[in-house]
Amino acid sequence: MTALLELEGISKQFPGVRALEDVSFSVAAGEIHALVGENGAGKSTLIKVISGVHKPDTGTIRIEGQEVTFDSPHSAQAAGMATMYQELSLYPELSVAENIFMGHAPRREVGRIGVVDWGTMNERAREILASLNIHDMDVQRKVGTLNVGNRQRVEIAKALSINARVLIMDEPTAALTESDVERLFGIVRLLKERGVAVIYISHRLQEVFELADRVTVLRDGHFVGSKPVAEVSEGELIRMMVGRTITELFPKLPSEVRGDVLEVRNLTRKPTTRDVSFTVRGGEIVGMAGLVGSGRSETAQLVFGILAPDSGEILIEGQRVDIRSPGQAMKLGIAYVPEDRGTQGLVREMRIRENISMAILGSLTRLGVVDKSAERRVGADMIGQLNIIATSGEQTVNKLSGGNQQKVVVGKWLASKPKLLIVDEPTRGVDVGAKAEIHRLMSELAQQGLGILMISSELPEVLGMSDRILVMRQGRLVAEFSRAEADQHNVGSAMMSDQVVVADTPAATPVAGGAA
Amino acid sequence: MSAATPAQATSQGNRLLGTARRMLGTQEGLLLVLLVALFLGVGLYNNQFLAWNNVSDLFNVNAYIAVAAIGMSMVIITGNIDISVGAAIGVLVTLSGYVALGLADAGLPPILVNVAAWVVPVLGGMLIGAINGFFVAYLKIPAIVVTLGMFSILKGGLILVAGGNTLYNLPEGYSIAMEDFLGIPVPVWVMIVLTGVAFLWMRYSRTGRSQYAVGGNAEAARLSGLDTRRILMTTFILSGLFAGIASVMYATQYQTIQAVVTPGLELQVITASVVGGVSILGGVGTVIGSTLAAILIRFIGSALVFVNISPFWVKAILGILILVTVLSDVVRRRRQERQ
Amino acid sequence: MTTANPAQSHSSEPSRLQRILLRQETILFVILVIGVLLLSMQSDKFLTIENLLNQGRLAAEIALIALPMTLIIITGGIDLSVGSIMGLVAIMLGVAWFNWGLPLELAIVVALLIGTACGLFNGLFITRVGLPPLITTLATLALFRGLAEGIAQARSVRGYPEWFYILGQKNFLGDLTSIPNQLLIVVLSIIAIGAALAWTPFGRSLYAIGNNETGARFSGLPVQRNKLIIYTLSGFMSGLAAWVYVSRVSTTRSDMGNGIELTAITAVVVGGTSIFGGSGTIVGTVLGLALIQLMKNGLALSGAKGDSTTIVVGVILIGAVLLNQFIQNPPARLKRLLPGQQ
Repeated sequence: MTALLELEGISKQFPGVRALEDVSFSVAAGEIHALVGENGAGKSTLIKVISGVHKPDTGTIRIEGQEVTFDSPHSAQAAGMATMYQELSLYPELSVAENIFMGHAPRREVGRIGVVDWGTMNERAREILASLNIHDMDVQRKVGTLNVGNRQRVEIAKALSINARVLIMDEPTAALTESDVERLFGIVRLLKERGVAVIYISHRLQEVFELADRVTVLRDGHFVGSKPVAEVSEGELIRMMVGRTITELFPKLPSEVRGDVLEVRNLTRKPTTRDVSFTVRGGEIVGMAGLVGSGRSETAQLVFGILAPDSGEILIEGQRVDIRSPGQAMKLGIAYVPEDRGTQGLVREMRIRENISMAILGSLTRLGVVDKSAERRVGADMIGQLNIIATSGEQTVNKLSGGNQQKVVVGKWLASKPKLLIVDEPTRGVDVGAKAEIHRLMSELAQQGLGILMISSELPEVLGMSDRILVMRQGRLVAEFSRAEADQHNVGSAMMSDQVVVADTPAATPVAGGAA
Repeated sequence: MSAATPAQATSQGNRLLGTARRMLGTQEGLLLVLLVALFLGVGLYNNQFLAWNNVSDLFNVNAYIAVAAIGMSMVIITGNIDISVGAAIGVLVTLSGYVALGLADAGLPPILVNVAAWVVPVLGGMLIGAINGFFVAYLKIPAIVVTLGMFSILKGGLILVAGGNTLYNLPEGYSIAMEDFLGIPVPVWVMIVLTGVAFLWMRYSRTGRSQYAVGGNAEAARLSGLDTRRILMTTFILSGLFAGIASVMYATQYQTIQAVVTPGLELQVITASVVGGVSILGGVGTVIGSTLAAILIRFIGSALVFVNISPFWVKAILGILILVTVLSDVVRRRRQERQ
Repeated sequence: MTTANPAQSHSSEPSRLQRILLRQETILFVILVIGVLLLSMQSDKFLTIENLLNQGRLAAEIALIALPMTLIIITGGIDLSVGSIMGLVAIMLGVAWFNWGLPLELAIVVALLIGTACGLFNGLFITRVGLPPLITTLATLALFRGLAEGIAQARSVRGYPEWFYILGQKNFLGDLTSIPNQLLIVVLSIIAIGAALAWTPFGRSLYAIGNNETGARFSGLPVQRNKLIIYTLSGFMSGLAAWVYVSRVSTTRSDMGNGIELTAITAVVVGGTSIFGGSGTIVGTVLGLALIQLMKNGLALSGAKGDSTTIVVGVILIGAVLLNQFIQNPPARLKRLLPGQQ
């Protein structure tokens, strides 16, 4: 296949950071090309170069052999480069059709004045959606009334409306339900048939193997290699991404299990949590598996006081409690490292020490005033304990890498000396090196007697780290496995099974049947 | 489009019903219903309310506010606000008066004097709008701050230059707002025509639609290749244009002009827009709504008099109206997000 | 992309002195000093204790309002209704005493409670209902002023007993000092609120809220409670300002406080508080207040008409925001010179 889009010798530097160094990359028409790499490897900079947001310092971009330069996102779009970012670029108050055609709406003449042609616009919008096998969307509906899966489809239709030749998708499945993911894959394959080149960025390697034709690996801003997916294994991919073989990815240390720290009985908050009951004991790591949208984060947030339950009970160390705020949860010894560390976990404009002390300010206060030296001590402690790479506790958090930022969040919660630690996607967007560190840390904490509830969408992580595994599906707890009996197969099918859901106590064996 | 079969006729009827139902669900529909209800209600209570004098008044008195609200609606739709419009109108009204008097003294023919006195404030308004727009669009200063500053500069400037003077002996034919055309006061015509034109422009022109885009999701607009700065600049200039026209409408209403800034004028204009369905969060609303709301505000003010409630309570009612409208907007958005 | 490494950082960590020198507050202080020098050269009536303290007396109401406004703007909010609350409290003071016949002491307490209730009203809509502060306080600006106008029906109240005017018009310890009484309240407020902002967890949480409210909430900070507190405080201080003002001008009218929100916001922004939230100090606000009062004084001494000083306030506001913008996001070439911008 001849290349549709070719990048050669691309370098891009930002103040203090070499984001891309002599990267070459090519993709052919009708090819689904996965782009993988750790956080900070340069993937997002590369796609921003392709979509015209950044101008490369060196190197050339060629489309069908012709050299081009993009002065702006608009000129990249005009050349057929379309990008679908994680935060969708839509207008919630405007209709589907108008969203699809914003900036290039079909026009007609009234007298000698050009006006927007609503009729044609609606027609063409329906046509585009139909070509993606979408027949059930009302193009006059406000986009704000659609769910995430549908909004993504509108984004893809947007790309087609500008006759995109290359569509870049940045972590498209992060927020989708399972059925939406399947539909998305279907659409991507349709695009492939139409000759559109798709550049697909994902941290989920199994998606790469399921969908892509070729895969390119970046590491530290350098191009490492580009191979047909059929010719490479997952282990090899990881090695290319990280530069070393990961043998100790999930260092699980043995620990002694103590008494109940958390017990949840019939906890309900429609529609994300339905009649959920489970326990977490001191010294154990309980993994909570499930697809995106299964209600795990919401259940955790019920325990942490961010959300209020409709009914059900929460018991901490055997005592019934009524948790109405995170502050209260903390006083009970509960800590929650949230899913979205940027918006939920940190105040990035503040310093490391200020972030670390944020949950325990009360205890650092003497006579109403914050004791800054005590604060600095706690900060330095955590930096040392967690091996956070920074110039000092005074550095602003947004200067740190993803892995180190995650460590700051963990540090904040460790400082509160919790009895129960809930971690939600602890290693999402974290490079493999820091991943191993965080896993080791969790093991050590369990050894010290902490009860840990670990929510994760990465099955290998769940299987590798947990003493017990809970599976949630559509708001209900459908299965529970011990470490010994769990494997990818039974946990996976519990997550995705179509069978009738178990209503009462979680079973020790999964519900039979369903998609594997 | 001829209704050939009964089936076609029924489906057309259904579509009409659907459209009607959809329209009633809008803020504009609601306002229309309120206007009619208020009209009938107060009219029944005190039928002096329905006298032609009063009815003409109801649509006439706030016509200039409706026109100013056209510009304000555009600004709010792009996600900004303009607190300076009240002071701008005060300054432009005074400007109009001085131009009229100055040119008349210079001996120019009255028709020229009057046209100049009507056109100069419009240009002045556009200039003010351009300055506001420059600070917001190019220097990226929040509109609330820019227009707050502009408000005090204009207000202070007016006091400094013309402090409370009364301008009289205005030339013959100047006070055009006092005239009728085909039995309907000129300001009402201006209000209706401008509302219609602006509505069509915002619905069918590229720049008009891009106002909604910029207000709905500024980042997406930028990535789509829309020139956000130019759009914002245009919006503020247009807002100044409408403020200028409104000021001419106001200045030509009486035989004299007071060189003051009417206190609370900007609040009335903003209220008209917000109650008219232009969400303060940007990206949604029409000028038909703001015009209906401007009329409604006058209806309420007048109704108070006819039902023997002191008109001093008008501002309190405006405040409640804004709160209620914004509340329902926020509730609606939240329900939408829950899906 | 390599992580930050002490050995590799491009510019050296700026010294403490450098950092202090290039803050907006310092620049403001320098401008203030220059302004004082210019004005004292222009008029020999300026640099007298008498005049300066009198200026303090005149600025007291704005100062009281600008203090909680600083807290509010730091959290990324705004309170446009402060002037209207002032007007409403002023009227209610008169009504409670004159119309309801309450003893004046009690009337004062009732009036202050009403001011606090107005602030609470704002706070509840902003925290419980989640309305944006701009539009909420714009609506209550209308509502509270409307209530004031409705209740007053264009009448005013006069003839308060002599002791009532001591607060606004007399000095501390009668003729023994020349310190205006209200200045004591102002200074106490500055110390209390300034200390709370700089040193307490409450103050720290306001900065967190201004930078990332979600992050603050997830960290267990009492976000809703603290926001409620600052808007309620704003209402209370507006009420306090009303009391001081009525005492100073000996009368009660419903249009009092009209436009004071502009001056208060200007003082806060001039003082270095970012209009976007997340930064700012009470010291800065005090300097901003001083600068504004200085300008007004200068204009008055050179014969400008009273209300025309608003033109200067407007110019200062825009200038201050531009300056603040420039400091926080300097053009690339200057980035290397300014500290903290690695």
